[in-house]
Amino acid sequence: MTFKWWLPRRTLQLAVVALIALPALGLGFFRGNLAAAELLGIPLADPLAFLQALIGGKVLVLSYLGSALSVSAVYFLLGGRSFCGWICPVGLITELGDKLSRYSGCAGKSIPLASSRWSLGLVLLTVALTGVPLFEVLSPIGIVNRAIAFASLLPLLLPAAILLVEIAVSRRVWCRSLCPLGAFYSLLARFSPLRVGFVKERCTHCGDCLQVCPVREVLAPPLERGAPQVTAGDCSRCLACIDSCSAKALTVDFFHKRSRTR
Amino acid sequence: MGDENPKGGLTRRQFLKGSAVTPLALMLAGGAIASVYLRPTDARGFTLRPPGALAEKRFLAACVRCGMCAQACPHQAIKLAGGEAGAGIGTPVITPRETPCYLCQDLPCVKACPSGALDKKLEDIEQVRMGTAVIIDRESCLSIRGLRCEVCYRQCPLIDKAITLQLRHNTRTDEHTIMEPVVHKEKCVGCGICENSCVLPKPVIVVRRTVEVQKDSYDF
Repeated sequence: MTFKWWLPRRTLQLAVVALIALPALGLGFFRGNLAAAELLGIPLADPLAFLQALIGGKVLVLSYLGSALSVSAVYFLLGGRSFCGWICPVGLITELGDKLSRYSGCAGKSIPLASSRWSLGLVLLTVALTGVPLFEVLSPIGIVNRAIAFASLLPLLLPAAILLVEIAVSRRVWCRSLCPLGAFYSLLARFSPLRVGFVKERCTHCGDCLQVCPVREVLAPPLERGAPQVTAGDCSRCLACIDSCSAKALTVDFFHKRSRTR
Repeated sequence: MGDENPKGGLTRRQFLKGSAVTPLALMLAGGAIASVYLRPTDARGFTLRPPGALAEKRFLAACVRCGMCAQACPHQAIKLAGGEAGAGIGTPVITPRETPCYLCQDLPCVKACPSGALDKKLEDIEQVRMGTAVIIDRESCLSIRGLRCEVCYRQCPLIDKAITLQLRHNTRTDEHTIMEPVVHKEKCVGCGICENSCVLPKPVIVVRRTVEVQKDSYDF
C-alpha cells in the first residue's frame, strides 16, 4: 500500500475538532479555539483576529503580538493556506459539501478566487472605520468553534447556509472566494517555500489531479506550461493532486527559490 | 425575449442581470441585516462583562471570541453570547441572576484573555468596575419596607464598603428600625452577587452600567 496524504490530513482535521472539544470534557492541556488558544502552555493566535483587535480595539498585548507572529511564521513555512486544507473545521465541512455536490451532480460554476481579497479588504476597512470586527462576528469558523466548545448551536445556521450554497450553487465558494482568513493566508503563501512540485517528464496528461483539485485554476496553468512548481498562494496544500497522480509526476517539497516561469 | 445576442456571448442586459443586479441586491440585503445586527450590544441595553473589560465599543473590537475567559472561570459564571447579541456574538457575558462573578482573588479570566480585551493591568479585585449595583424598586425592597432582610448587604464581597446599612426610625410602627441597604458607587465593583442573592422573585437590586463621575452641569 502506498502512502496517501489524505490520511494524515483528515486525521489532523479531526484532531483539531477534538482539541477544541477537550475543555468541555474537562481536559486541561488545550484551551480556546482557532481565534486564540493555548496548547500545552504555548499561546497560539489567529493573525487576522489579532489585526482586527489591534485596529478596532487599539490594544496591543506583546505576548499576543508574539503568538500571532509565530503562528504566521509557521503558516508561512508550511504553505499559508495549509491552514485551510489541514486545520480549519469549516474546510472539513465544505469538503463534505464538495463530495455531496459531485454526488448530486449539481455543482455550478465557480466564482473567481480573487474576490476573497475584497472580503479581506472589507473586513479590515470595516474594523478601521466602525470598530466592528466583521470577521470575528460573522466568521463561520468561530461559529463552528463555539458550537463545538460551548454547544452554541443556533448560529450554526450560517455554516449550514454556506454548505447548502456550496452544494447547490457554486463549488466551495466560501473557502475559495469569500473567506477573508483564506485570503490572508494566501497572501502569506505566495512567498512560502513549501509548494507542490511538478515533474513534467512523468506527466501523462490524464487530468486526474485537476479533477480533485479544489482550486484547479491555480493548478492548471503550471501544468500546461510545464512549470516546476505551483506558485499561487491559493493552493491549500491539501495534496489531493499528489494522491490522485498515478504517474508520480507531482511532489511536495521545500523550494529554495521561486521558479522563473509563473 | 430580446435577450438573445446574435453574435453569441452576453448581451448588455444579460450582463447587468447576471453580474450587476445580483451582487447589488445581495449587498443591499447584507447591509440591511448588518445595520440591524451589527450595532454595538450596548445599544440594546447593558451587558455585564467579565472583570477588566474595556469600554463596550472597544471591548467588542478587542475581544476575539476565543472563549478562554469562560473556560478559565471556576464558577462557570462567564457564558458566551449567541446570535441574539448581534455584533457581540461569541463575547463573554455574565448573567448575575444565574451565576454572578465571585471575584476570584487571582482573576483567572483576565489572565486567560490573550488580546487584552480584559485589561491585564487589572490586578486588585477592588479596582474592578464591571458595573454598579442599583436598587431599582425601593417600594419592593424588604429592608426598606422595614422587614429584616439585608441579604444583599451580607452577601456583598465588599460588605460595609460597597453596601452599607443606613439605620433610621420606622415611623409606621413607631418602634422598629429600618435598615436600608445603600450602594456606594465609588466602591461597588458590579460583581452581581447582590442581584443574585436578592430574595425577591424579581430582584430589586441589579447591576447597571458603571456611572461615570457626574460632572457639574457647568463644568465642561
